[in-house]
Amino acid sequence: MKYLQTMNKLINIKIDGKSIQAEEGKNLVDVAKENGVYIPTLCYFREINPTLGTCRICTVKLNGKHTTSCTAKVSEGMDIEVNTPELLDNRKAIIEMLYAEGNHFCPSCEKSGNCDMQNLGYDMGLTVTRYPHVFTDKMVDFTPKRMIMESNRCILCKRCVEEVKTKDGKDVFSFVQRGVKTRVQIDYAEEEKLSESEALRAMALCPVGAILVKGMIHEQPFGDRKYDLLGNDILPIVKDKKVLKGEQEKFIVATTSLAGCFGCHMSLLDIDTDLLDILDIVEFNKSPLTDIKNFSKRCHVGLIEGGCANAENVHVLREFRKKCDILIGFGECAIMGGIPAMRNFVPLKECLEESYLNGITSEVGADIIPGHEDIPKLLNNVYPCNEIVKIDYYIPGCPPNAEHIWKVVKNILLDEEFSIAHNEFKYD
Amino acid sequence: MAQKLVIDPVTRVEGHGKVTVHLDDNNKVKDAFFHIVEFRGFERFIQGHPYWEAPVMVQRLCGICPVSHHLAAAKAIDQIVGVDPDDLSLPAQKIRKLMHFGQVFQSHALHFFYLASPDLLFGHDADPLKRNVVGVAMEHPKLAKKGILMRKFGQEIIKLVAGKRIHGISTTPGGVHRRISAKERNYFLDDKEIPSADTMIKWSVEIIDFIKDYHEKNKEFLDTFAAYPSGHLGLVKKENGFLELYDGVLRATDSEGNITLDDVANDDYNEHFYESVEKWSYLKFPYLKHLGREKGWNRVGPLARLNVCEGIETPLAEKEWLAFKAETNGKTNNSTMHTHWARLIEILYCAEMMKNILEDDDILSNDLIRKGTRRKEGIGIIEAPRGTLIHHYEVDDKDRITRCNLIVSTTHNNEPMNRAVRWVANNVLSGQPKITEGMMNQIEVVIRAYDPCLSCATHALGQMPLELVIYDQYGNIVDEKLR
Repeated sequence: MKYLQTMNKLINIKIDGKSIQAEEGKNLVDVAKENGVYIPTLCYFREINPTLGTCRICTVKLNGKHTTSCTAKVSEGMDIEVNTPELLDNRKAIIEMLYAEGNHFCPSCEKSGNCDMQNLGYDMGLTVTRYPHVFTDKMVDFTPKRMIMESNRCILCKRCVEEVKTKDGKDVFSFVQRGVKTRVQIDYAEEEKLSESEALRAMALCPVGAILVKGMIHEQPFGDRKYDLLGNDILPIVKDKKVLKGEQEKFIVATTSLAGCFGCHMSLLDIDTDLLDILDIVEFNKSPLTDIKNFSKRCHVGLIEGGCANAENVHVLREFRKKCDILIGFGECAIMGGIPAMRNFVPLKECLEESYLNGITSEVGADIIPGHEDIPKLLNNVYPCNEIVKIDYYIPGCPPNAEHIWKVVKNILLDEEFSIAHNEFKYD
Repeated sequence: MAQKLVIDPVTRVEGHGKVTVHLDDNNKVKDAFFHIVEFRGFERFIQGHPYWEAPVMVQRLCGICPVSHHLAAAKAIDQIVGVDPDDLSLPAQKIRKLMHFGQVFQSHALHFFYLASPDLLFGHDADPLKRNVVGVAMEHPKLAKKGILMRKFGQEIIKLVAGKRIHGISTTPGGVHRRISAKERNYFLDDKEIPSADTMIKWSVEIIDFIKDYHEKNKEFLDTFAAYPSGHLGLVKKENGFLELYDGVLRATDSEGNITLDDVANDDYNEHFYESVEKWSYLKFPYLKHLGREKGWNRVGPLARLNVCEGIETPLAEKEWLAFKAETNGKTNNSTMHTHWARLIEILYCAEMMKNILEDDDILSNDLIRKGTRRKEGIGIIEAPRGTLIHHYEVDDKDRITRCNLIVSTTHNNEPMNRAVRWVANNVLSGQPKITEGMMNQIEVVIRAYDPCLSCATHALGQMPLELVIYDQYGNIVDEKLR
């Protein structure tokens, strides 16, 4: 049999202490997978040889040294550590770095639901990045015939550079510049030769939303997208230790919407009639849903929607930190600034003039720009809440799923065990 | 001593607002303002994005009426790909309308049951600790439950069409991306898992009876509280002037019902509107050019729509509209508090329309997307729950958005709400030796009548940065500058 003829010799290795027999020279990611050990990957693409090893997500310890497993071929006696707490955290940190470095606004991204990096975030239970967001302003290239290159989303995995060729074998994508300035450039003349289906393949090959095919967007409904199909699979949720257990008859909850759209508050109500049961254990204090404008007592939990866009937001957030035992940032805006943070790329002067002086329906000769003691001063940028105060929990989503919100709240208040399924944990 | 009263934040409205009332030495009101204290900057930062991102991105203006923004943007983007509202396939039109009726239904239910009803049920000077939806749930559990289930019905309709309740996606340039299945629509009709569309109609009638009964008992309050003459603006059906929420022509009248803007097509809106700016609010003040800043402002929303339309296509809502019109002898209704009543008539209209569309087999069709010749400009106008919503985009030949103009419902209501606040300040607060919490709440009661969505309204970016605070990654202030 052909298979047997080409099969290499079997060697012995150890993965997380377990002895395994494998074919010599085989890729470590694949060997681990065949033996039931999942090593997350992002740039790894089997057809590309040699493998890229650019994203570092698959970092493991090989004989005590950090190594990317997609570039490792197994050999006799290898001792590989995959799922130690340290390595799990290392890998999560790498994903967080990628999120913080680029502009990954899942709520309005064409690739959301089909994005490999987004799904890795889900897999790792990633709710917030430990690094501050950079909010880059790189070139978005609309010039190519069929494609748009959104460099702010590119993770430089090099898949497109290595894999996408014209029929006559020419490269379409290439790396230009060096270091932090490195970006992927499209050769316009070669790109023009690609058929629509070849362009779509390039878009699918991109593990994020950097390569877009013009007009081919948001075509799949929620629920039908690639990673929506994981539906009810349970995700690992990293649980903090913070749980309130007490003799209270009712728990006091405060809520606020900072620079948000109120969608998270709407989601709070989207448990429908279960809300009536919640009211047996929860009492609302300061909240836009009540008429309590200032804290009338100390609160167990504060739910924060929205990031900080003006001085008033900062003031309210700090007050919440002082008056609440536990703060939950819910929704993308609270966690990373969200859509309002898109203004972080634009000089404010331009925004100002566009809105108040040069708008399509601005008065002729308009010269007033709002500014008054009764309206708050704006911040230079929109800041995520955790850059202002300590936030104890994060619930991602735009808006977060209603069940998810209340599971977390009930866990904090009542120590109720909970699990979160794929379809309750989204960034969009 | 002269002093300033401040209500901050205005609660039980969606978004961020603040009221200041300026008193002189004798506690007489000198002036009163309703400030919108938030800003976003959508009109600028959306520039440079591909045009198809607009409906997905701009709906994040608002979590209460995302569908309205999604659809207004979609109508504009349809034109970019060369598809006018009438060219859309019938199934696509009906699916979009179904979602929009679901949206208006849930938003109105939210407003009435969760936000406004505490004032009506408990009185505006009730204990503020009780004066909220929790209080309603405790003391009127049956009513609260109906309200919750009505909102749920609307939200589920949105989820059916857009995949999720808030910030879903349904439209694609030139149509919608999925049809409805027979099984899916039966969920809303068979009265098994959730109360059916028929039940929604029944409950809508009940709640209108509630407000009519309330009106009988509190006639003077509802009729005269913050009543003042104003213009009214809304979409009406092109062919017969009937109430229209998804696609029609713009019509405005003055406080007496004389037409001031007649049947203007979408594309011409910018011929007719200006927006002025005041130092003390991030929200602009739109008005009709030919009438000027002083006279050209209009109310929008349920009251304005029922004033400018000539009838309603569904029988039960038409009957209620006639009764509503009879209350003012067919004349234009300028009673701010009647907006609640008008809103509930629209709830009934939406319930009837949802049933009609759900029973229409067109929504099962796969004929969903149309294509046309590329254009550079698109304008989408829709009636959001709170009133006329205008989206306008310009796109270059590389698919980039180069310009954007948004006039959202609450922006039109900026001047009317300020007038209403001043009315309460002058008629309730002025000259009082002691200003009570109940008096202050009356200011909010009148703001709530407009159901302002300050989230939507704050899309425009305001002031230059006057405060710069730099934090390290642990949240400590590194530098703070005021200029």
